Amino acid sequence: MRTTRRSFLRLVGAGAAAATVRLDAPPAFAQAGHPVKLGVLTIRAGIAAPVGAAGLRGTEWWLERVNRAGGILGRPVQLVVEEESNPKDTVERYRKLVLQDKVEAVLGGISTGVTLALGPVAEDLGTPWLSWDGTTQKGVEETMPNPRWAFKSVDNEVEAIVAGMLTARHFKGIKTVAGIGNDYSYGHDCWQAYQAVLKRYTPDVKFVLELFPKLGVTDFTSHLAAIQQSRADLLMCSFWSGDATIILKQAAAVDLFKTMKGAFTTAGGVHDSLKKNFTPEGLLLGYNTMYFDDPKGSALLKQFVREYKAKYAEYPPYECDHAYFCAESYKAAVEKAAAGSTKWPEKATVVRALEGIEVESLSGRRSWREDHVHMCNFYQGITTHKNPYDFVTIDPVEVVSTKVAMKPAGTKLFDWINSWKI
Amino acid sequence: MLSGVFHGSILFLVSAGLQVVFGVQKIFNLACGSFYALGAYVGVSAVGWYVGAGGPPALFIAPLAVAGLAVGAVGVPVERGLLRFVYDRDETFQLLLTFAIVLMMEDAIRMTWGTSPRSTSGLYLTYGRVGVLGTTVPVYNLIVIGASLAIAVLIGWLLTRTTFGWIIRASADNREMTEALGVDMRRLHTTVFTLGTALGTLGGALVIPATAAMSEMGIELIVEAFAVVVIGGLGSMRGAFVGALVVGVLRSIAISVYPELEMLLIYLIVIAVLVLRPRGLFGGPPA
Amino acid sequence: MSGRLVLALALGATVLAPLVAPTYHVLLMLPFMAYAVALLGLNLLFGYTGLVSFGHALFLGVGAYTGAFLTSVFKVRSMEVILVAAAALGALVAAPVGALCVRYVKIYFGMLTLAFGMVFYTFVLKFYRLTGGDEGMPFLRPTLLGRSIEGLPKTDYLAGPYYYYSLAVLVLATLVMWRIVHSPFGLCLKTIRDNPTKAETLGIGVARYRWCAFVISAVYAAVGGALLGPPTGNVDPTLAYWTQSGNIVFMTLLGGFASFFGPVLGAFVFIYLQDWVMSVVPFWRLIFGAILAAIVIAAPGGLAGLWVRRPSVEASSS
Repeated sequence: MRTTRRSFLRLVGAGAAAATVRLDAPPAFAQAGHPVKLGVLTIRAGIAAPVGAAGLRGTEWWLERVNRAGGILGRPVQLVVEEESNPKDTVERYRKLVLQDKVEAVLGGISTGVTLALGPVAEDLGTPWLSWDGTTQKGVEETMPNPRWAFKSVDNEVEAIVAGMLTARHFKGIKTVAGIGNDYSYGHDCWQAYQAVLKRYTPDVKFVLELFPKLGVTDFTSHLAAIQQSRADLLMCSFWSGDATIILKQAAAVDLFKTMKGAFTTAGGVHDSLKKNFTPEGLLLGYNTMYFDDPKGSALLKQFVREYKAKYAEYPPYECDHAYFCAESYKAAVEKAAAGSTKWPEKATVVRALEGIEVESLSGRRSWREDHVHMCNFYQGITTHKNPYDFVTIDPVEVVSTKVAMKPAGTKLFDWINSWKI
Repeated sequence: MLSGVFHGSILFLVSAGLQVVFGVQKIFNLACGSFYALGAYVGVSAVGWYVGAGGPPALFIAPLAVAGLAVGAVGVPVERGLLRFVYDRDETFQLLLTFAIVLMMEDAIRMTWGTSPRSTSGLYLTYGRVGVLGTTVPVYNLIVIGASLAIAVLIGWLLTRTTFGWIIRASADNREMTEALGVDMRRLHTTVFTLGTALGTLGGALVIPATAAMSEMGIELIVEAFAVVVIGGLGSMRGAFVGALVVGVLRSIAISVYPELEMLLIYLIVIAVLVLRPRGLFGGPPA
Repeated sequence: MSGRLVLALALGATVLAPLVAPTYHVLLMLPFMAYAVALLGLNLLFGYTGLVSFGHALFLGVGAYTGAFLTSVFKVRSMEVILVAAAALGALVAAPVGALCVRYVKIYFGMLTLAFGMVFYTFVLKFYRLTGGDEGMPFLRPTLLGRSIEGLPKTDYLAGPYYYYSLAVLVLATLVMWRIVHSPFGLCLKTIRDNPTKAETLGIGVARYRWCAFVISAVYAAVGGALLGPPTGNVDPTLAYWTQSGNIVFMTLLGGFASFFGPVLGAFVFIYLQDWVMSVVPFWRLIFGAILAAIVIAAPGGLAGLWVRRPSVEASSS
């Protein structure tokens, strides 16, 4: 035992020495024109990896534009990208960005589980955190009503609320509804919210089946068999990744939508993969907060879609715009806080400037509500094959603002829904 | 029911690969799920290329199966380059080495195909649908079930009626004795491991028209394949067959009767089997 | 340099680290110390008894969720109570699980532990009303030795009082484990590992000893899991997934399962290496997979074994 223990200790010594060398080496870029460092957290692996990739691409596109135009207050911007994985590791990466890399702000955060943990850490470390797609809601209620440093995404369940409103508008006479979502908070919350909203518009609607397969399942044939047996008039589905593609494909294989309507609240996140030959017309399809083919889209959106397609051979999903807005609003807030001078403002001043700020983003104007919640439009509509692509698009395009479809600051979700005058 | 059988037949292919490797090399190959994912991605690419080259859609299953089998060749470098070093080591080390392969393959796939879900578009329905037992089933599902049955029969024939099968069974029972009889263990190991890999990659390729290839799809499958071989019994082909059916069908029943249970039910059965009959339904005596 | 001296130096460096090292690196020591506690326990099973558990994330999870339940549901904030409760619950869960598992060895033992781990994982994920599902549960800031330290910013709390608290737990856990492995009990375990039949003829109740080792290792893992909670502030099911079990076996092997301090070294190297590799390349799993493969093939004794090639490393691994 003695020899082994000694060998271990020698190693610890060597390790400690190595670590010290690394710590003392100054970062090489520190002298080069004092760039502004922004931290980015993005998911790289697993089911949400495409979402993370889109967010990073949106940020990088913003970065190129901004740096070409001279940076922020004349300082070039530099991204420090770290991986978002599980809550424990991501909290560590967040601390690294702030404490070690000394970034001015952190952008990103997608998974709710992770961002629930990030919220308090961001508050403690006193650096602005602009979340792409993660809230600090436990279930559907806010856990951090008055954050100082954390800026949160739209509530998870907004797209289900919008879908509930549009279901009532587009599919009149629906009596029975089946639901399928992933077995985690997003899936459950969307289903709850959707039911609550639909019940307000059509009080006699019955919810006959709910299925929650584990995230990452790639075979839904058994679930579809159960859905068929339920004989519901409509299927509500909150899948947003490859599983949306898979269930549509497997649903087409059993002709599910010959007899059933469908509301896919979030499948527009993987719109490229919803090919016409298995995705029928007449479904309600949600694109979250950016619709790449928006006929009323701005020149900025059109340029972005064109360049994105040229570079990645795909059409951009919504996460690009969450990310673009976070970066762009940060820039605008710094410039506002500097108030004409070129002196870099304090972090606290930037945060105050961010509150209520509105900027032009890819999909239109977006803003931060005073209580640090992201405000924007949601795009949903009825699927159509009349387009030049090999996948479906929507027509008509329904645009619903978070001013209408997201609970106002300080309210409880279901109290708010039940207080609607319809 | 039938949906469970379809899932079960894919599970059978992957777990058969697991079993054949365990039978001879006594290695529990966690990377079987990664090979499955690799087969899926390669299948998507092969079919994409085939359709792009103007091949008739009705025959897409041919390039799919060929690609699925061919990429099984990756088993050769994995066995020669990594596994052969640990045959005389503790099982733990072998298990960990396959865990290392899982980690590496996960990133290798990501580097090659990116992270967006990949699918073969609408080819799934090329063969149409039929009504079976009052439900509509894509013919493709039946083809896969049939193919998987055929492979099961083929493996059964291979193991019981050929010299190669005799050698495999002999070396599964007694490695030293088989070697003493003049069998080239080196080649046998490579062949068997590649066979196991090819079964996994073929499973991945065959499932892909019905689904989409996604990041980490292999990690999810390992756990299910694990349940199959435990229920069936480690190293037993018959066990893989029955275990895959049990897992596939039970899961489908659980989903329609009490969806909350789903995978939990499978794990509870796994534990029950391990506790009551650790050899599984068809396994040999525990080590 | 004598072993004692190096040990003293390492301990001294650890004690001084919060005063001199950058805060971020100090904070990284927290998961290291938590894992180190868990790994000391895991290695009683792995290195000393010859049983490799692929489900020990289960007990990390039990410990972490114990702390989360106590702080956020039952409003119990005392870290001492949390640690004791985690240890007790770990033992409570491990008693029946261990009784079933230790009837088998090698791959069957590994599979059974893996299955139990997955049952727990599926349970916390499925019963989200109780456990928060994927969102997990908050692990509120615990009080240390009865002193509430609410006024301090979380970072200072973690890099100060909580750091030394974790260190104290680690030192205590190490001392206890040192006594355990050098007691007659520990010697019996080694005999069982090297030759179970011989142990049986010597009158050692093999199954009972293995069971004891299992329960002790579970208690260590649960305590480690509870220590892991406060730095993140949230516990979630990924802590209990099978890949996590794989990772902690990886750490043990990386450091060297054949030596007492090997796993502790493994946890240290794993965490700092992961931190560094993740910053440099996006494909860190590939690199870690390659490292693991290299260790398994070329250096089964781990880093500790690289220094001194002991014949017993090979002996115990074949």
